[in-house]
Amino acid sequence: MTQTITIDPVTRLEGHGKITIQLNAQGEVEDAHFHVTQVRGFEKFSEGRPFYEMPALTARICGICPVSHLLASAKACEAIMSVQIPHTAAQLRRILNLAQMVQSHSLSFFHLSSPDLLLGMESDPAQRHIFGVAAVRPELGRAGIALRRFGQHIIELLGTKRIHTGWVIPGGVAEPLSSANRDEILAMLPEAYANISLALAAYKEIADQFQQEISVFANFPSNYLGLVNEDESIEFTDGALRLIGPKGDIIDDGITAQRFTEVIGEAVEPYSYTKFVYYKPLGYPEGSYRVGPLARLNIVKTMGTPKADQELAAFKQLAAGPAESSFFYHHARLVEVMYGIEKIERILADPLILDKHVRATAGVNCLNGAGQIEAPRGTLSHHYKVDEHGKITWANLVVATGHNNMAMNRGVLQAAKCYVKDGKFTEGALNRVEAVIRTFDPCLSCSTHAFGQMPLAMKLVSADGSVVDQVVR
Amino acid sequence: MSFSARCLILACGNTMREDDGVGPFLAQWAEDRWSGDSRVRVICGFQWTPEMVEDVAQAESVLFVDCATDCKPGLLRTMEVQPTAGTSRLGTHHLDAAQLLMLSRQLYGKMPRSSLLLTVGAGSLELREGFSDAVQKALPEAQRMLAEAVQRLIDTVPDQRAYPASLNE
Repeated sequence: MTQTITIDPVTRLEGHGKITIQLNAQGEVEDAHFHVTQVRGFEKFSEGRPFYEMPALTARICGICPVSHLLASAKACEAIMSVQIPHTAAQLRRILNLAQMVQSHSLSFFHLSSPDLLLGMESDPAQRHIFGVAAVRPELGRAGIALRRFGQHIIELLGTKRIHTGWVIPGGVAEPLSSANRDEILAMLPEAYANISLALAAYKEIADQFQQEISVFANFPSNYLGLVNEDESIEFTDGALRLIGPKGDIIDDGITAQRFTEVIGEAVEPYSYTKFVYYKPLGYPEGSYRVGPLARLNIVKTMGTPKADQELAAFKQLAAGPAESSFFYHHARLVEVMYGIEKIERILADPLILDKHVRATAGVNCLNGAGQIEAPRGTLSHHYKVDEHGKITWANLVVATGHNNMAMNRGVLQAAKCYVKDGKFTEGALNRVEAVIRTFDPCLSCSTHAFGQMPLAMKLVSADGSVVDQVVR
Repeated sequence: MSFSARCLILACGNTMREDDGVGPFLAQWAEDRWSGDSRVRVICGFQWTPEMVEDVAQAESVLFVDCATDCKPGLLRTMEVQPTAGTSRLGTHHLDAAQLLMLSRQLYGKMPRSSLLLTVGAGSLELREGFSDAVQKALPEAQRMLAEAVQRLIDTVPDQRAYPASLNE
């Protein structure tokens, strides 16, 4: 008789989901699925809206990474307008995107994952939260809060609001940067550098304690996709996509937002509302890949900033080719935070950063437009079609969690095979299976566009379909 | 980014969820009422988040302002708040007043000397702006109680700038 284990909800994620583990007659893990159980609706109800409303509309998908949707959407709108935005607007958008990356990565590392890393996977679940972290490493708790605040405050200084700013608009940004706000950001940099240095040192101290987790947390060869500049440095807001194979070989390069729609496909599985994204020339599921911090660092040759390049060099020592374990998402995230701080400082030194010309204007010049950026969790694409009046007739969003969907499912199965024994959960096994998902830092709000409460559970199901065990917390 | 205040007013709520917007409404009223008064600082958000802990830690007193769903619509209550991690599941993006105080003490080794929570009983949390009749009627009294609470906190909490830092441990 086979059995199925369900973890419901998976905790400490952005949004909620469910994991089902299928056991065979011997009580061994046979299969596992990560379910996202909410229906997606934004593409449909945006039909008929003027295209220039799309940045503000789609940003409401998520309260964590609204900036990502704002930027990808604005870029798609600019493709419809056929305009190139002013240099200063492009630079300010880069700062905004990097600030969001810093705050989002800080939330993921310090708030969501550091309880596992600092307190241990087997620690009392009642203590595995920010209060537990504050009790054992208050300096890291303060660093996490300060880094998240650093990113949020920059977003607020640029866009007047921390969440759902309307500052990014098709054609550029609504307001230029003031010298007072530039100086305020510059004044925050020393503390930000100190905090990320502290976090990197702490991570390196403890990472070796997780060798088994490293070996089974989605540790397998895969393809990787991410934006890269022409000089092979990391990019979050512009550039073009590169797809590399398991050994680091380039499969495709220079994938623009428009070509993205030609080479990237979306498959559907019956157990999840989140689609499974793949590279069409390789087919499905062989064309699946990973995105996000791990993928980006595996793809690039340089970060392009000195401190982050030092950290990248250390990261590249983890493996001869691409680092394969999703556990290393944590490490990659911290390297990217260092990069974000350095890059913000560098952009602020641009002599044109206070220029007042920050917006280009145009009407509908193309009936089809796509935009792509790197969200904290990975590549985000918006693709719209409009009529001659600029009303949306079709829209499609491909989000990071969809790109990573296959890898998350494979990762859950790999970890479950290691940790679920004799058809039963232990608290540590449960937490580790959840922790695999947390390494990807998926955003289930983005992937489903759900509204309201979205709990995620773990369920153990027998061969005859009956639920043997279930965890809801 | 943070600075100390004799009294920090920390409000939360969503103006698009009817009576949940009473926190932001009172925060805006307080902004106007104490405009230019450096003793009072007002912060308002959709939720109370861990990022607010530093502001809480640096304040000499704090008045939390929120709506409540465990009482009659329009009922006004002021109560003292003690730090606790609580037993309920901790959210990623929000904390309650007692948890903010606890985190302030754990992370920064200090917290406000006095903390009050002012709540307004919610009658409706539907997806619209404005207030239910009960909350609308309660607003003038809520403003009066808020002003009284702020004055009480300012009067009873000594100015930390006049005392050694060790007294705030």
